[in-house]
Amino acid sequence: MVIVSKKRMIETQRVATIVISEVLAGASLTNVLQKYWHAHSSLSDQQRGAIQDISYGVLRFYGQINTVLGLLLKKPLWDQKLHCLLLVGLYQLQFSRTSAHAVVNHAVSTSLSLSCDKGAKGLINAVLRNFIRQREDLLKTTAKNEVGKYSHPQWWIDKLRGQYPSDYKIMLKINNQHPPMTLRVNQRKIKVAEYQAQLNISNITTELLWGGALKLTQPVAIEKLPGFHKGLVSIQDAGAQLAAPLLDVHSGMRVLDACAAPGGKSSHLLELTEIELTVLDHSPERLIKVKQNLTRLGLKKCHIICGNAANPIEWWDGKLFDRILADVPCSASGVVRHHPDIKWLRRESDLSQFTTTQKMILNSLWQTLARDGKLLYVTCSVFIEENRSQIEEFLHHHSDARTLSLSCGKTSNGQLFPNSQHDGFFYALLHKI
Amino acid sequence: MTSMKILQYPDERLHKLATPVREVTVEIQTLVQDMTETMYAAHGIGLAATQVDVHQCVIVIDISDSRDALHVFINPEIIAASGESTCEEGCLSVPGVFEKVRRAEYITVRALNIDGDSFVISAEGLLAVCIQHEMDHLLGKVFVEYLSRLKQLRLKSKLKKQQK
Repeated sequence: MVIVSKKRMIETQRVATIVISEVLAGASLTNVLQKYWHAHSSLSDQQRGAIQDISYGVLRFYGQINTVLGLLLKKPLWDQKLHCLLLVGLYQLQFSRTSAHAVVNHAVSTSLSLSCDKGAKGLINAVLRNFIRQREDLLKTTAKNEVGKYSHPQWWIDKLRGQYPSDYKIMLKINNQHPPMTLRVNQRKIKVAEYQAQLNISNITTELLWGGALKLTQPVAIEKLPGFHKGLVSIQDAGAQLAAPLLDVHSGMRVLDACAAPGGKSSHLLELTEIELTVLDHSPERLIKVKQNLTRLGLKKCHIICGNAANPIEWWDGKLFDRILADVPCSASGVVRHHPDIKWLRRESDLSQFTTTQKMILNSLWQTLARDGKLLYVTCSVFIEENRSQIEEFLHHHSDARTLSLSCGKTSNGQLFPNSQHDGFFYALLHKI
Repeated sequence: MTSMKILQYPDERLHKLATPVREVTVEIQTLVQDMTETMYAAHGIGLAATQVDVHQCVIVIDISDSRDALHVFINPEIIAASGESTCEEGCLSVPGVFEKVRRAEYITVRALNIDGDSFVISAEGLLAVCIQHEMDHLLGKVFVEYLSRLKQLRLKSKLKKQQK
């Protein structure tokens, strides 16, 4: 007899396989997972955790695993699901604690439930068992190829090497680690030390990085965070928590958060002081998320507008803003630890599209900024063309713009790289004279 | 010890009736060892001799997570049964299929151990389910035969397709 724990493992492999095949076909990992959580509400937390771990892991190390798989296959597979199932199996063999026999046996059963071709059984056995036997040689050969070694696309590796010749290797390595999980304490509701004490009671240890940024020693499920639903705390990377304080808002100011969804920085601004905040985003669906976030945190006083930041005629009432937060759309190359799918979904050609959009947004928003006002330009990218080059070009074309030094002390030139405390961001504070 | 081949449903040999073991010989003890290894390798919690095409009344069971609590039942008979419970069962001979089966909740079983000594055990929960599941195998019965005829037909054609 066999029991359900085996069934669970098969189900885990099956869902992870489908998730990965959808992501590799172009969907975002976050969206695909959310869709599956909705569709399979009966999954236990443990199973969700396992599916999430495998999906993130396979995409994090896709370059390596896929290169290994290429070495093990005599000819390319035309069955995308089977290809993804083999990626899942290889990931589990290399990175998880599941016993090797279980991985192989379950993968065979999983292929049945995915209605793979009849030859699948033999192929799965051969590929996975050959990996177990020749693991060291295969990994050595894989590491000779940059995509296999760093698990990033070649264009990405080349770009970073060009822009950061002495640091690119360590940057690539860090990108493949697990990100820190960091909380932002809603200091309107509770003092940081008090919340830290509440966490201690729940056996959750944290480290205070700056402001209200508490980094968890171990990631935990949101439900385990005391008072999360009462709005005591949000989840936000420590690097992103620098934005609101850098903007230097004061009571009574007219402030615009121009690309606001999902609202992490908007809510942070409102937590800081009493301001007249306009929250703008072009996506109605994502604005719903903003509203949910603001409601949870008990912050309701702001105007929420759906519109395109690059086209103020659509939405602007003509009254100038004292402060503008322009967290512009970008490649997200600084947050791949949280979104490993980005590495494989982005194309090099996407970059020029992002830089064009960024330029348009920056130029348009500048019109809506009052004299002596400040605009904080933010990306979650590490690529220079979206960051330093973008600002240099802007300054070149706008004689009324100056950059101000950043008060946070975390970066001299505005560029933050992913590390053990935070993700990668770029900040430029512009002053209109 | 050797790992044995597990018969896959539908296979006529799964419906053969097992004969009682007359004496617990060295051969039977070797069979128990081989069956145990086969069960562990396949991540099963129970295996009947029928499933490895040996038609004698021998069962091995280990429902522990740590895989170190082996039960051996030779010539098992249920001497008392009560209650009713439903459990989602799967079978090493029917991979990938899990269905709910209704069985007795509490059973008392008499059998011989690996040394040939008689013992009596009262079982409930998963152990009770597993003993009944394996004893069915000795009678030539596979758990899917508890399902409706329609479900069985569908299952058979699906499995046949996969085995082709």
